[in-house]
Amino acid sequence: MNKALIASVALAALSPLGAAAAERTLTISVYAFAQDDFKTLVYDPFEAKCGCKLVVETGNSVERLAKMEANKANPVVDLAAVSMADALAASRAGLIDKVDTAKLSNFGKLYDVAKDPNGDGMSVGYTFYATSIAYRSDKMKIDSWADLLKPEYVGHVAFPNVTTNQGPPALYMLGLALGKDTHDLSGAIEALGEKKDDIVTFYEKSSQLVQLMQQEEIWAAPIGRFSWAGFTKLNVPVAWATPKEGQTGGMNVMVLTKGSKNQDLAMQFMDFWLSTEIQTKLAEKLVDSPANSEVKLSEAAANNLTYGEATAKSLKLIPSAVALDNRAGWLKTWNEKVGQ
Amino acid sequence: MFQNRAEALALALPAAVFATLVFLLPVAILLSEGFHAGGAWTLQAYADFFSETLNRTVFLRTFRLGLEVTAVSAVIGYAAAFAIVNLPPNGKGRMIGLVTLPLMISPVARTYAWIVILGRTGIVNQAITGLGFSAEPLRLLFTETAVFIGLLQLFLPLMILSLISALENMPKDAIPAARVLGANWFQVFWKVILPLTREGLVVGGTLVFTGSLTAYITPAVLGGSKVLMLETLMYQQVSVASDFVSASVIAFILIIMSFAANILLKRLATARNRR
Amino acid sequence: MTARLFSPVVLFLLLVFLIGPFLIIIAASLSSGETLAFPPQGLSLRWVMKVFTIESFRDSFAMSMFLAIFGTLAALVLGIPAAYALSRYSLPAAETVRTIVSLPIIVPGIIVGLALLRYLVVPFGFNITLALFFAHTALVLPYAVRVVSASLDNLRSDIEEAAVLLGSSRLGAFFRVVMPNVRGGILAAFILGFVTSFNQVPVSLFLSGPGVRTLPIDMLGYMETTYDPSIAALSALLAFLSIGIVFLAERFLGFSRYV
Repeated sequence: MNKALIASVALAALSPLGAAAAERTLTISVYAFAQDDFKTLVYDPFEAKCGCKLVVETGNSVERLAKMEANKANPVVDLAAVSMADALAASRAGLIDKVDTAKLSNFGKLYDVAKDPNGDGMSVGYTFYATSIAYRSDKMKIDSWADLLKPEYVGHVAFPNVTTNQGPPALYMLGLALGKDTHDLSGAIEALGEKKDDIVTFYEKSSQLVQLMQQEEIWAAPIGRFSWAGFTKLNVPVAWATPKEGQTGGMNVMVLTKGSKNQDLAMQFMDFWLSTEIQTKLAEKLVDSPANSEVKLSEAAANNLTYGEATAKSLKLIPSAVALDNRAGWLKTWNEKVGQ
Repeated sequence: MFQNRAEALALALPAAVFATLVFLLPVAILLSEGFHAGGAWTLQAYADFFSETLNRTVFLRTFRLGLEVTAVSAVIGYAAAFAIVNLPPNGKGRMIGLVTLPLMISPVARTYAWIVILGRTGIVNQAITGLGFSAEPLRLLFTETAVFIGLLQLFLPLMILSLISALENMPKDAIPAARVLGANWFQVFWKVILPLTREGLVVGGTLVFTGSLTAYITPAVLGGSKVLMLETLMYQQVSVASDFVSASVIAFILIIMSFAANILLKRLATARNRR
Repeated sequence: MTARLFSPVVLFLLLVFLIGPFLIIIAASLSSGETLAFPPQGLSLRWVMKVFTIESFRDSFAMSMFLAIFGTLAALVLGIPAAYALSRYSLPAAETVRTIVSLPIIVPGIIVGLALLRYLVVPFGFNITLALFFAHTALVLPYAVRVVSASLDNLRSDIEEAAVLLGSSRLGAFFRVVMPNVRGGILAAFILGFVTSFNQVPVSLFLSGPGVRTLPIDMLGYMETTYDPSIAALSALLAFLSIGIVFLAERFLGFSRYV
């Protein structure tokens, strides 16, 4: 199997236009989470249905966006799953096309908030998630975002780096709790800066947190609900906080690359992913919360996910435009006060 | 020695041309971006870079850690190389093999092992609290110490191998002669071993220093964003801020530092002994 | 007395420091628990088994093997003539050639990957795999040239001259006299190159694309979402693979003499 693979890779490498496949190939760029589940629940069934081949690129949203930018003249990816803010950044950079929602049979079933998250018709939401604090219920009780900075807790806390998708929302909530919720997040960043030596780490990859929690390096960290599953498997008691300021979160959306040669296939895939059947399966497996309003979940699943239109509306999300316009400023303030 | 220059060039050219086209040119173009803000040749990007406190901190830290790792690996390296060189041939071969072993293991694996070892519930802390050195486990991860240890383990074998090579090339009777003449071990080291093994120290030192400057995984995983080094900062600039100008500034600085270290160490090696 | 103890103590501590982490990885990979921990909670081979079932590992392993083998071969094809030229001729620009060819060791890997992405792949539409192949070849070239040079320097040139005098062609002399004698050096260069290429991370960070990743990058990506012992298992397996290759080489050719 190795020899055949090597030979075919060598062939592909030598032809500048890439391998001439007998079937069509759809290239998608997605988050790295739960790819095993995605394969069984989404990719394999879709490949069977469309008679095409799916090639998957994974990574975090920002890095993948940078790659899309680098490949602008010759897009490699047909469809991408990114954060709301990154979708707006992509549209501003001229990297994506409008989504013709008339072609999506499942479009009408989506929650209103997911139909056109950025208001420019260029993205469609496929899941949303809450962001709150995961904490050791035997070591502490979190009632407010500001509890993270309490002297007896702060030395056991990990906070998301401002460069991550969870960073700004978490900072925003912290600012709310401290009564300093300005758009430049300076209040929250300064507060963090004062404790920068105590805080264990400003994480960039949320998966590391599970290990750190297991090793007792940390007792609490703000995370997105999509990371929660790993925490439940630990042999230390972990709880999900419902702070009085509320929870924040985000929505992940799908976008179409401009200049892609497989837009029709990509639309088919998008429709497939948004269908009630697939969204229900993904939700029951605790992979992603559904954006499709017709999905009915079992109680066990519903309790573990961010479920329902009401929940979606209650999350305090940062509007994409605000996120983009302030990003550079946030990074600068962060580097000044917290960077070390 | 053959004299036909045309032949010589024909043989060496493919490699040189390949390296130039595929490597030198793209890198040079990337580096030039650092001097090129907005169409004119200027050092503005460098001024901007150093004007930010974080960048200065990261620069000094990278430099300092590089020196520390090099110095410590030299000390340990000499001790280890000396011990190994004096082993019987079988043992020597096996020890050299064992010392080379870590170089075969992916840096990803080696770094993650340290997470487990240095963690709060890891063996180091278990020993520390068990033996009563401290009531509470110490925080070792995400500190400069963790990065230092990780880098040291990564590059120590290179230093040891260089020094072994140098020690073996030393005249065999130099040390016994000095001892007979009444030198104590410290004098033997300083006046005999060190001068005679200078070359090995230079090679090893360059490898370790350069390696520490450009290491990526170890500082990224063991230090995270609390112990930023130039290389991890550069990655952040590129992948998050899409700031290629900053990235090329950092790259140029790293390359200059490597070259400077190389030249400096070579100077030290060929300097005549002052007696 | 202290001098006698000095040696064994130093060596023992050294080995613990250098090899210890490797042993811990092996132990952690045999854990039956859910996370990376040492001492492992119970013993089980399930994570070792799991490694073989992850499809992306199989693909990226094939890619890494391809790059390591063919990249090193390409580096040798380029490097052996260059080493020969540097060692047997008084080449006009010898130092320059030596420097150019050795540069990849000094330049930070991330820069190499980024530069190739921006100036080779994107403007010319190069296939990413081809760019990776070029990058790995360039990275291994310095080792190829240096090690083979050292080997050639140790070989007396009058053997070749004698062969030519006795009627052999230059090319014939090269293949029948020089090559067999530097076989050990070439093998050493191959092994060094192979290991360097296989474990390379920074360069491959940017030169990865949909369906194109090297194994270390894939491992890093896997670790970003799943923190379980299968990574430890994979690392241990890879380490054994590398060690196995080197051990075989040592057995058959005593190659440590040439490093």
